[in-house]
Amino acid sequence: MKEVRITYDDGSVRRFMLASMFWGLIGMIVGLLCATQLAFPALNFAPILSFGRLRPLHTNAVIFAFVGNMLFAGVYYSTQRLCKTRLASDLLSALHFYGWQLIIVAAAVTLPLGYSQGKEYAELEWPIDILIALIWVVFAVNFFWTLAIRREKHLFVALWFYISTIITVAVLHIVNSLALPIFSGLKSYSIYAGVQDALVQWWYGHNAVAFFLTTPILGIMYYFLPKAAERPVYSYRLSIVHFWALIFMYIWAGPHHLLYTALPDWAQSMGMVFSVMLWAPSWGGMINGLLTLRGAWGKLRSDPVIKFFIAGVTFYGMATFEGPLLSIKSVSGLAHYTDWIIGHVHTGALGWNGFMAAGMFYFLVPKLWNRPLHSKSLADLHFWTATIGILLYTVSMWISGVTQGLMWKAVGEDGALLYPSFVETLIAIRPMYLTRMVGGTLYIVGFVVMLYNLGKTIAAGAPVETSVTVVEQESDSAPDVAWSAILFSRPILIAGLGLVAIAAFFLIDSVKIWIPVVTLLAGLLTAMWISYAMKRDQEGRLNVHRTLEGRSLIFTALVLLAVLIGGVAEILPTIVIDRAVPLSGAIQQPYRPLELHGRDIYVREGCYVCHSQMVRPFRSEKLRYGDPSLAGEFIYDHPFQWGSKRTGPDLHRVGGKYGNLWHYQHMMDPRATSQGSNMPAYAFLAQSKLDLGDTAVKMSAMKMLGVPYSAAEISGGSGELERQGRAIAADLKAQGIAVDWDSQMVALIAYLQRLGKPPATTTPTQNAK
Amino acid sequence: MSGPENTEHASAKAQAGAGGTADVETGHDYDGIREFDNPLPRWWLTTFYGTVIFAIGYWFYYHTAATGDSQMTTYQKEITAAQKEEDQKLQALEAQGKGVSEEQLLALSKDAAAVARGAAVFKQNCLACHGDRGQGVVGPNLTDRYFLHGAKAKDAYQVIGNGVLDKGMPAWRAILGAAKVQDVTAFVLELRGKNLPGKPAEGVAEDEAARAKP
Repeated sequence: MKEVRITYDDGSVRRFMLASMFWGLIGMIVGLLCATQLAFPALNFAPILSFGRLRPLHTNAVIFAFVGNMLFAGVYYSTQRLCKTRLASDLLSALHFYGWQLIIVAAAVTLPLGYSQGKEYAELEWPIDILIALIWVVFAVNFFWTLAIRREKHLFVALWFYISTIITVAVLHIVNSLALPIFSGLKSYSIYAGVQDALVQWWYGHNAVAFFLTTPILGIMYYFLPKAAERPVYSYRLSIVHFWALIFMYIWAGPHHLLYTALPDWAQSMGMVFSVMLWAPSWGGMINGLLTLRGAWGKLRSDPVIKFFIAGVTFYGMATFEGPLLSIKSVSGLAHYTDWIIGHVHTGALGWNGFMAAGMFYFLVPKLWNRPLHSKSLADLHFWTATIGILLYTVSMWISGVTQGLMWKAVGEDGALLYPSFVETLIAIRPMYLTRMVGGTLYIVGFVVMLYNLGKTIAAGAPVETSVTVVEQESDSAPDVAWSAILFSRPILIAGLGLVAIAAFFLIDSVKIWIPVVTLLAGLLTAMWISYAMKRDQEGRLNVHRTLEGRSLIFTALVLLAVLIGGVAEILPTIVIDRAVPLSGAIQQPYRPLELHGRDIYVREGCYVCHSQMVRPFRSEKLRYGDPSLAGEFIYDHPFQWGSKRTGPDLHRVGGKYGNLWHYQHMMDPRATSQGSNMPAYAFLAQSKLDLGDTAVKMSAMKMLGVPYSAAEISGGSGELERQGRAIAADLKAQGIAVDWDSQMVALIAYLQRLGKPPATTTPTQNAK
Repeated sequence: MSGPENTEHASAKAQAGAGGTADVETGHDYDGIREFDNPLPRWWLTTFYGTVIFAIGYWFYYHTAATGDSQMTTYQKEITAAQKEEDQKLQALEAQGKGVSEEQLLALSKDAAAVARGAAVFKQNCLACHGDRGQGVVGPNLTDRYFLHGAKAKDAYQVIGNGVLDKGMPAWRAILGAAKVQDVTAFVLELRGKNLPGKPAEGVAEDEAARAKP
């Protein structure tokens, strides 16, 4: 036993925290601008400031810059203290910090310029994606290295959550970002198409919420809440159960973003039931947070840190109840594509992430600058302004979402839509958009009050480096328990067998009902028998989880296993589908060259942010848009553009619905053809030329991804493009509009007119399993 | 029960606060953070098991046993039911002499009230493409006696109701409902032969159309 003096790396924590505050403010202001544009479309000043490009900037900034920097600060601060060691490498910490800020700056530049992969929360182009992967590895090495040199044998629950975060985000980011760059400008195409791309994207998208916005923040809660409350964590057992249940189940839930789409029924049901089962594991975190405060409720009144943490955890509980609810198919049928979803994510982002961040800042700034908080009453002011802001935001979005959802679905006595004009439904919810603006403004005012308060604190204080004396553990090179004894211990075997049984039940084909039923029963019986045998033989029993907590490598391997199962089970079946076989009887022709260019413009302008391309199988949608979209219609869509929100109408069946002239006029000034529309004008497209030199490059890239262009089609691409462009330009000319055949406007019109042409043969047997 | 145990219990209880049960510490200590070894709340566990049972039941119903309809089957049923309802309504109208047979539509075009209702619908929905008096803009002139999709009253009803998507004519029955489509058909039939100056004639003349499409 020898004592050592260590100094924590608090400089890194301070840097990340200040960056989080800075980017948080920027991200929220961009969000407010976006919200304002939806109510006042004239505010789409210029192409680089139009909603379709700014909304990705807002989401990326808030998720990866605000919460990202906040979680790095929290992880670094707590990990050092939980491991009783300084962060492993100052160099890696610095690399991590500056690398991450570089990524954010690159995002802030490229997104408004329209460089986008067209997948939500994963818009950043390939060089930035690679940089993200590299910096994430730097973070991972720094973190696991710190774990490796820890002076505390066991890992505290916060660290379990950090481990799951780092492992899973790496897997998600890499798998979803796989794209083929075309070396002409900054552009790439997702290697997945249509249904596959949708599934991979929402497996990623949902788990970005799970493993970037939830698990690390839960870890932060487990460290900072007991610290601030000075109370023990409510239940160690609950930590174990809810941790493993949460990370195992979260990964399956992605398809709930795709309910009633062309995704096969089984995958949709999988997403739904796992989302429902997530309710309790999520609430496990809330309970453990709230009940930790037993005996210290008085602090709720006096301590701003506790106030924000408790409200944050409560918002977490609300959002994680609302989530499973929205995942129920019939609820999703009403709520999907509406503002209800926007309200839901903001309960999480503003209430959970924002308040946990504020609580952590109020806790850390006085400690790291060695100065009591400048003003408690300003912190109170922040709390109440922000809380009222959140309530205005979410309530207005609930009302807006339910109103619009019901209006879309309303079919009258005479078999016609009650609100056939989409704009009508948009005008109905405009008051809610104004209310949302007020809510957002209040939240930002609160945030600024916090910045002022913390700034005053920082100005009056001075940065300190915390030093502590710790007892060096005896180095024991030989572990007390062999790894095989842990992996083949009964709890893990039981869990494994149970999982196999349940997976078999879910995955074995339904042709013979008895197979899954017998497997399930056999699995459960085995599990019961083992459990009985274990009870009989209590003596000398290994406390497996406690042992695991002392073995970070095996722990991490098990976490990886737990998160991989769901991903593999869901994604693999759709990846191995042979695209040569037409799906659901629909035969699709590849896009013609001009349409391909038009599609790239559609992606660049972020049209998918407000328009879906997925007609759901409802009578109301058949009336409004046309036949339901089928999986086979998207096999050449790299990336898929199904969208997740209908601020404007669905576009999948828009082809041929209006004339070229209508599209031209609508793009020049949406209000000219659709009075009351809130779409930005795209008049600049008429003046912008296509980059015709790219045609062959784009087609070749698509061919590499499996789109069956022949060599002749590729070499004749420019000629074909010109023919189609001239035909559209001539049609417009005949109607008194002069526009160049090689303008971006013509290409976009060509793409839109191509959309949703009914497939050559359509059989309604899709998904009928 | 011995005294000291009781006291210990009482103090643990006091420590537990509102919880009511004694908190047992695990003895863990991480950077000053301790952990209780409280059991999982029963209501929480029940909720968890409940959702798992629901999930298995749901899967069994919709997939394993496939008792529940797939989403496409549900959709087909919804559409079929709606179609059946509409057919019944139409039959009832037919019986009352207000149907969409050739004769009944022609009769409707002589009904001033129906034509007036149709004019109102036309003004709201059609004038952008067909002009304020039906003289044609993007869409064809409706006041001549030349036809693109057939000269019969039923053809007009069909085109207005189901649209000609390739040419930019929307399917209006989904938007307006059958009754308004009937009214506007009456109005359009009434326009024929007014020969207002506007878009030049397109398609084939009336007698030719009748020959081509008996």
